[in-house]
Amino acid sequence: MKKTVVLLILLLIAVAAAGPKQRFPKPDFESGYERPLLNTPAPRQLVLEYLDIFVLFAALALASWLVLKKRSRRGVFWLMIFSLIYFGFWRKGCVCSIGSIQNIAYALFTNGYAVPVTVVLFFLLPLIFALFFGRTFCAAVCPLGAIQDIVVLKPTRLPYWLNQALSMIPYIYLGLSVLFAATGAGFLICRYDPFVGFFRFGARFNMLLFGASLLLLGTVVARPYCRFLCPYGVLLNWMSRLSRRHLSITPSECINCRLCEASCPFDAINYPAVEKAEEPRETRVRRIAVLVFLIPLVILSSGYVGAKMHIPLSKGHATVALAEQIKLEETGRRTERTDETNAFRSTGKPIPQLYAEARQIQRQFKIGGWLIGGFLGLVFSLKLLNLSFFRRQDIYEADRGNCLSCGRCFDYCPVGKPDVDLEKLKPAESA
Amino acid sequence: MLMEKKINTELLYKIAKRTAIIAAAFAAIISILLIANYLQTKSLDPLHSAALQQLMSQLQQNPNDAALKEQIRALDLLARKAYFTTQWQLRSGGFLLFASVLVILISLKFISSLHPQLPDFSRDKARDSWEQKLLARRMIIYSGLGIVVIAFVLGLSAQNQLKDHVVKASFPSMNELHKQWPTFRGPGGLGIADAKQAPTSWNGKTGESIKWKAATLLPGRNSPIIWDKKIFLSGADEKSQAVYCYDADSGDMLWNTELNDIPGHPAEAPDVTRETGFAAPTMAADGERLFVIFATGDLACLDFDGKRLWAKNIGVPDNHYGHSSSLVTYKDVLLVQYDTNEGRHLFGFRSTTGEQVYATPRDDVEISWASPILVNTGPRMETILNSNPFVISYDPASGQELWRLNCMDGEVGPSLAYADGFVYAVNEYARLAAIKLQGTPHIAWEYEDDLAEASSPTVFNGLLFMASSYGMLTCFDATSGEVQWSHEFSKGFYSSPIVAAGNVYLIDHGGMTHVFKADSQFTAIADNPLGEKSDAIPAFMHGRIYIRGEKNLYCIGK
Repeated sequence: MKKTVVLLILLLIAVAAAGPKQRFPKPDFESGYERPLLNTPAPRQLVLEYLDIFVLFAALALASWLVLKKRSRRGVFWLMIFSLIYFGFWRKGCVCSIGSIQNIAYALFTNGYAVPVTVVLFFLLPLIFALFFGRTFCAAVCPLGAIQDIVVLKPTRLPYWLNQALSMIPYIYLGLSVLFAATGAGFLICRYDPFVGFFRFGARFNMLLFGASLLLLGTVVARPYCRFLCPYGVLLNWMSRLSRRHLSITPSECINCRLCEASCPFDAINYPAVEKAEEPRETRVRRIAVLVFLIPLVILSSGYVGAKMHIPLSKGHATVALAEQIKLEETGRRTERTDETNAFRSTGKPIPQLYAEARQIQRQFKIGGWLIGGFLGLVFSLKLLNLSFFRRQDIYEADRGNCLSCGRCFDYCPVGKPDVDLEKLKPAESA
Repeated sequence: MLMEKKINTELLYKIAKRTAIIAAAFAAIISILLIANYLQTKSLDPLHSAALQQLMSQLQQNPNDAALKEQIRALDLLARKAYFTTQWQLRSGGFLLFASVLVILISLKFISSLHPQLPDFSRDKARDSWEQKLLARRMIIYSGLGIVVIAFVLGLSAQNQLKDHVVKASFPSMNELHKQWPTFRGPGGLGIADAKQAPTSWNGKTGESIKWKAATLLPGRNSPIIWDKKIFLSGADEKSQAVYCYDADSGDMLWNTELNDIPGHPAEAPDVTRETGFAAPTMAADGERLFVIFATGDLACLDFDGKRLWAKNIGVPDNHYGHSSSLVTYKDVLLVQYDTNEGRHLFGFRSTTGEQVYATPRDDVEISWASPILVNTGPRMETILNSNPFVISYDPASGQELWRLNCMDGEVGPSLAYADGFVYAVNEYARLAAIKLQGTPHIAWEYEDDLAEASSPTVFNGLLFMASSYGMLTCFDATSGEVQWSHEFSKGFYSSPIVAAGNVYLIDHGGMTHVFKADSQFTAIADNPLGEKSDAIPAFMHGRIYIRGEKNLYCIGK
């Protein structure tokens, strides 16, 4: 065990160490040698972009067929490997459906930014497929999901309460990502993409370390990024809940044999609910009534707190950060100038104009803070409400929102297997 | 058959396990090498090695030593090769590590597929029972509250650096300013002294009527400014910049503040001509603070005891003669005319903090060397700037443009004059234009002979005085433009006529101050030598005149 831990730590640091590159100043020439001019790489050919869309569509269609019709975990696995190679290592993690949220948000709030059709389709296609067939994108098409899926070795099930609490993080991440993209502060999802460094064989030390840590964690907690971070997963979750067709653990009728219980490493199987009589109905009804009454208050208060956060959050915007640095210098609170402030000053742009732009961005963050805070308040309230309801359930079935459609459960279901005596597997009370 | 399958499974298990172990050992070795390589790369700084630094310093002493250059090149090449080898090692190591991790994963996956896990029926079946849901609800509430509290505290504690830090400023009224000599060419920069009496004859060579004479340490083409009994000057050369304060009664230097460590100060001094130098702009004072600017673009504020209140560099001016526009204050705003080859602005800085209040672009004018004037035109205060091709008026509080008139040409040096609703603009090879402000500003009259090159005109009692750089002085009726008289002097003028106690004082290139009546007839009163050259503006206070020569500051009078 100790050897394994040491090896894992070594791997972790080595992965991070292998990535970063040093800056090296250009040599000075006295021989009259002229350095070649820097060229901006030509944009990717349109036909190749269309190829990406075609591959995405084909992979989604194939994944849906493999999950819903063929019920083949093996097929899903190999399609996942293909997607990892194509969308991950070949396309280097870009364009990516998860990151496309930001392009859409940026386009919605920025005049003059025309979002490419490729990005729009990368954003929409997985959602549309989720609306019809569940999260087949997560199962076999997303390279970020794939890289985590292949490292799942000995998955453990998290306590229910922890699972529920951690599942709130993607909403926060989604809110912040949309806010940052909409205000032009930056693309958080891309900046903190933990796996793109592996796809490109190079990234900042911290990001490689973060990615390696997630993969290491992923050996025992399956797909931690997909379940507890992925902002696109929030949208897929919503779509999948409404999906017309969805993965089914059993091909026909569940016999409650419990064999599939351990098959899902993502805790996405809903068990038959045992009604408890400990809580009187009135108590439950009262709690729900209080919660419903409190929802507007929670939304307002969290919106207020979100708006309060506009100052620290807006510091993440380059213009605000620059304006603050300039302000510190201008008012003598900082005596040393930075490269950024020197570069700004050399442009001759009026400082008050920079301040005005920065204050405008702060105002945008304030409005965004209200909206994001309110949204998170609503999400937390609905989650509480959801946990307050009792739903009768008699069989084992995939949780439509959280199920990643990976198909691991297929092989565990004895229904339809010719050499299995189903009668022996049925629980005693129902047999 | 079953036995055979079991044996095969065991064999495959062993192979997979050993493969995983070997791959893990390989990955461990690669990891150690990568980490060592990374640490080595981090700790080494090949381009700043002691050997290379030593060779570089030797080269500075012998810049033509070809052998030394070759040696440096060889060493530099070696360092670069070492760097790129390290990069190759890191990259190759990364690939090998990736491959070995892949082998480990495949082996482990294979092992797990050989021993599929059966469900653990001992676990709680009702995992979303009420107890679990209750726990989950509590967890959601606690974490939600935790997030709200943290966010609230963060939001409250975060400092908005963009918030304006209001520093209460007191500033003198226009009446108080007129009792002092706070700027270039006196209050408002108009060349009119509020003096009841002033000496009319002196001789700097013999010491006649010279109350005191004090040496100035660093050179400067700027003129003295005065507040109460303190006289302020600035001086600078390529290496140093300083502000000096003298006692008006004794001529003692009260303090001397060096300003050489201003943030943003350029590593190399800009090129300036000897005639302009590094300290051509005259300072400004507002009763509590002094303001100074140098040809390096360094702008500073001191209190009257010489203590630095704030200082900054506002960009090294690209000016082929050297920056010369003097400073003016309006309430708590310091105005800087910053017309350079690269960009032109009227800057307003908060006098208390130095923060930029506005930076009005002046992109459609050429570089100029004139200074702003500050006048009350009746309905409002205006600061008016002379430049090619526009004379432009601004609101001194906001920097908003009020009006403009196309009437100038060439490299504009003279500042403007103002009286009774007329602005007077002049430049050599352009014209003298009298701009009437009533209605839409327009040229009321113009004149094209004996124009001033650097000297600024002055208006007093309906008479306009203009001095050319080749010694011609012309007096006009300020309203009609009719020439009243002209007089030719032996030496030319860069300094400007100043009116004090009913007389005009004008210093020529040789340092001779010509004094004559401010009248429609030319009546000479005296010609007073300073004893050294001067192109400065004389300052009038305390019934005395203060003149800066090339090397000394003179106090004339009793």
